Amino acid sequence: MSDSFSLPLRPLIEKRDRPDTLPVDIAQINARWGSFRDVNEDTLRAKIEEEKNRGPYSDDDEGDKAAEDMDTTEQLEQLYKRRAEILNFAMQAHMETLFALDFVSLLLTKHTDRQAETSMSAFLKQVAPLGSLNSEIVNPPPKSEAVAQDVKTVSRGWRMQNFNAAANKLLKSATRLETEVASESKYWDEVLAVKEKGWKVCRLPRERQALGVQYGFMEATPIFRDRGLAALRRADDGSLILDKGLAPQKTRTVRVRVKHHDKFTGCSKVPGSSPAVDSIESRILQARDTVYEEELFHELVREARIMGSQGVTTRQNLVRFPISEEQEVLLDLVDADQDTDDSKMESTEHDVLADALSHSIRILLAYAHRQNLRRRTQPPPPLSQKRRHTPEYQLLRPIMAYLQHSSHVRSLETFMTDIYQVLQVAGLKCEFQAAPFSSVHLSRVHPSIPKVEGLVQQFLMPFESTFSGNLATPQSSFKVRIRTNPAAPPFGTLYDISVNLPQYPDVQPPSRIGSQREAAAALTHFAMLDIVSAIATHGTKLSKERPRKDTLAWESPFPHHGELLALSDDDRGHKLIVSLSQNELMVETFPRSGPEGLRWSPGDPSPAVHSQTWKLDQTGSASLIDFITEVSREW
Amino acid sequence: MHELLLFASVPAHQHHELLQQLAGLTAMQPRHRVERRLVFKAHRQPGLTNTRVGASQDLQGAELQRLNKMLNGGMFYTQVVGPVAQAEFGAKPASSGGAADVYMSGMEDKLSTPAYCYEDQSWKLEFRDIPEAGTRSAVTARLMASAALPKGDITIPMNAWGYSFVTEYVVEGDVFVLNDIVIFLHRVLLYPSGAQESHGPRRQLPAYRELSPLERTGSYVLQAAITVQDGGNQEMMKTASQHLFGLREQLKSAVRLEQADRLSLDTRAK
Repeated sequence: MSDSFSLPLRPLIEKRDRPDTLPVDIAQINARWGSFRDVNEDTLRAKIEEEKNRGPYSDDDEGDKAAEDMDTTEQLEQLYKRRAEILNFAMQAHMETLFALDFVSLLLTKHTDRQAETSMSAFLKQVAPLGSLNSEIVNPPPKSEAVAQDVKTVSRGWRMQNFNAAANKLLKSATRLETEVASESKYWDEVLAVKEKGWKVCRLPRERQALGVQYGFMEATPIFRDRGLAALRRADDGSLILDKGLAPQKTRTVRVRVKHHDKFTGCSKVPGSSPAVDSIESRILQARDTVYEEELFHELVREARIMGSQGVTTRQNLVRFPISEEQEVLLDLVDADQDTDDSKMESTEHDVLADALSHSIRILLAYAHRQNLRRRTQPPPPLSQKRRHTPEYQLLRPIMAYLQHSSHVRSLETFMTDIYQVLQVAGLKCEFQAAPFSSVHLSRVHPSIPKVEGLVQQFLMPFESTFSGNLATPQSSFKVRIRTNPAAPPFGTLYDISVNLPQYPDVQPPSRIGSQREAAAALTHFAMLDIVSAIATHGTKLSKERPRKDTLAWESPFPHHGELLALSDDDRGHKLIVSLSQNELMVETFPRSGPEGLRWSPGDPSPAVHSQTWKLDQTGSASLIDFITEVSREW
Repeated sequence: MHELLLFASVPAHQHHELLQQLAGLTAMQPRHRVERRLVFKAHRQPGLTNTRVGASQDLQGAELQRLNKMLNGGMFYTQVVGPVAQAEFGAKPASSGGAADVYMSGMEDKLSTPAYCYEDQSWKLEFRDIPEAGTRSAVTARLMASAALPKGDITIPMNAWGYSFVTEYVVEGDVFVLNDIVIFLHRVLLYPSGAQESHGPRRQLPAYRELSPLERTGSYVLQAAITVQDGGNQEMMKTASQHLFGLREQLKSAVRLEQADRLSLDTRAK
C-alpha cells in the first residue's frame, strides 16, 4: 500500500540560484572565527565535540546535576522558589493579557460599544469614556529595496523551516501509527485467542471502552461474582495484561489439615505456584481458581459461625472443627507459593483424609452454586420489605455429619465384633449384620435431577446405619439404628435401639441414646440378660430331660445383676454370676451358706468356687453350656 | 398483591434473536411454558344480593360491609390456568382402569408420548383487576391474586362459586427470570374452530400444529412483570417500577417496553 502511493512531504530544496560567492564566505568566516591562521583541524574538532556534548538541553543538564548534589530540604526550597517564580510569571502574564484585553476592548468601543463593553474591566469603564480611542490605518513609509529583499528571504526561510517541521511531524506520526497498528493487531489477536478458548469476553460495565474477560462464577455470592471479571488491557507492545484491579495477584487456596493428638498428621495437596508458562490463559485460570477458593473460604467461615454450638471455632484465617475426641480438622486460606511448613507435619498418615475433605468442600460449593442457579431461575416471591436471607451453604455440616457418623458406626462395629467373638468363643450361636450408610441409595435419585446433583444430594440427607442380629436365646433379637442429621436439629448422632427379649418383655432401652459409650453399655446389658435367660432355660431343659436329683435348676431372681440362684437337695444355696464386657465373659459360681444368707462369708474355706472366663482371642475352651451343665452336676 | 407490568410487541422474525438476547441478559436458559387458559365470567346468583340498600343511618358492621361490597361490587372475568406439556397435545386420551396398564406395559412407544388426562390437570385461578387509572409512573399496575384450585374438572366448583365458562385458549411462550422481574415472551394460540365442542373446557387437546396464533403474523408479546406484596407501600411500588425501568433501559436497543392501554386490560364483566 505504502509502496503504491508515496507523497513527498519535505519541501524541495532548490539549488540556490545565486550561490554565495567565495569572498563573501571568507569574509563571514573571518568575522566569526578570526583569522584563518588560527583555524586548524584540532581546534575545529574540539569545538565540534564541545557542541555535541552540550547538546540542545545543556542548561537543564546542569540544573539536574546541581539538583542531585542538593539534599532534600534544599530541593524543597528550590521547588518552592521555582513555584513562586512560575506563579509570578503566570500572574504577570495574566495582568498583561488583561491590559491587552482592556486596550483592545476600549479600541473596539468606538465601533461596537455594547459588545466590547462587556470585556472591559470595571476600572477602565470608570476612568475612560467609551469610544475615546480610535485607530486609523497609516500608510507606512515605503521600504527600501534591500529591506524588502531581506524580509522576503527571512519569510522564505521561516516557511522552509515550518515545512520541514511539519514533514518531520507527519513522518513521526506515521511511524508511531505503524507501531500502534502492529501492537493493536497483536492485542486483538490475543483477545481472539482468549475468546476462542471459550472464555466470555465482554465490555466492562463501568468502563465502556475497555474489554473484560469473565472467568468467575455466575452463581457465586455477589461480591465474588463481581470479582470474576477482569479487564483485558494492552501493554505498550501490544501484549495482553489481565487487570484485576485491586484484587491481589497471588494464588490463594484453601488448605485442609488434620490434627491427631495435637500433631499435624495430614495436609491436603496445595497446588503449586503459577506454572512456568506464563500465558494469558494460565493467568485467567489462576484468577478463576483464586476467586473460587476465596469464596469457598468465605462461605466456610460464614457457615462455621452458625456452628459454634457444635464445637466449630473460627479465627481470623482459620476454621477448626473436631471430628472425634482426638482428631480435629483445620481449614485455612494460604498462598499457593508459600512454603508449606513440612517441618510441622509429623506424618502423612491422614493425607488421604485431608485430600478427600478438600475435594468434598469444593464439590459441595459447586453444588451450592447449582442450587443457586435453580433458585434464581424460579419465579421470585412477591416483592416485600423483608429481605431475603441467603442461607449458609452446606459445606462443613455434611462433612462433619459424615465423619461423625462413620466414626460412630465404626466404633460400634468394632464393639459388636468383639462382643460377638466373645460369645462365639463361649459357644453361643449368634450373629449380627451391619449395614453402614443404609440410607444412601444412589439409585433412588429422581430422574429429572442431573446425576451429579443427585449424587451430592444423597450426602446432604440424614445418614442412617443399621445393625441387627440375634442373641443366644432363639427368639431374641436386637436392632440398632444410628442416625446423624447434618442440617437440621437435633444435630449429632442418635442411637435408636430396639430389642426383642421374649423372657423379659418389659425391658426396653431408653429411647434416645446420644453417646457411643451408653449405647455399648445398653447392648452389653442386653447380651448379658440374654445369657442369663439362656442359662435359666438351659437349666430347666436339663432338669426336664434328665430329672436327676443332683442337677441344679438355676433361677434368675435378679437378672439385671447377672445373678442366678439354685438350691441343691441339702438346702445349700448356689449362686452364679455372669459378667460380660467387650473383651471377656466371666461366669463364677459360689456356694451360699443358706437360703437366708445373702452373702457368702469370705472366711469360709470354700473349695467349691468355680469360675470360667472366655476371652476375645481364646480358642478351644469348653462352651458356656458345657460349663453350666458341669457345675450343675457338681452337687 | 399488586402486579407491575410493561409490554412490548415482538415481530415473529425477531423472536429467535430476542430469545438469545434475553438468555444472555438473564444468564439462564428459557423455560418453555404451555398453558391452557379458561376464561370464566362471574354472574350474579339470584337471591344472594338481597342486602339492604340505602338507609345510611343504619350503620353496618365492618364484616357486613365487606360482604356487601364483595357481593354487589363489580363482576369480573377471571382466568383459570393449567400448565400442560407440549407433548400432551394430540395425544390419545388415557383410558381409565387396569386395562390401560396392560396396554401401556405392552407398548413401549406409548410411554414416550404421555396421554393427556383431563382428570389430572392441575389448575390455578388468576384474578386480575383493571389496571389502576391515572398512575403517574409509566407502568401498568393492577391488583392481582392467584390461588390453587382442585385438580380435574374445574367447571363444577367454578359454577358453584358463581362463574360460568366463556371460552378457552392456549398460551405458549418462554419464561425468564431477572432478579425480581419475570419476563414472559409469549403468544396466544387458538383452538381449531371447526370442531366446536360442547359448552365447557376441552377434555382432549388437538394436535399442537392445528392451533393457530391469534395474531396472524405470528408475533409475540413480551411481558415484564413484578409482583409486590403490599400494593399500599409506595416505596415498594416505586422500587418495583424502578426495576422495570432499568430493564426497559437495558432492552432499549432490542424492543420498546411500554405501558399497556388500560382499557384493553379491562377485566370487568358488564
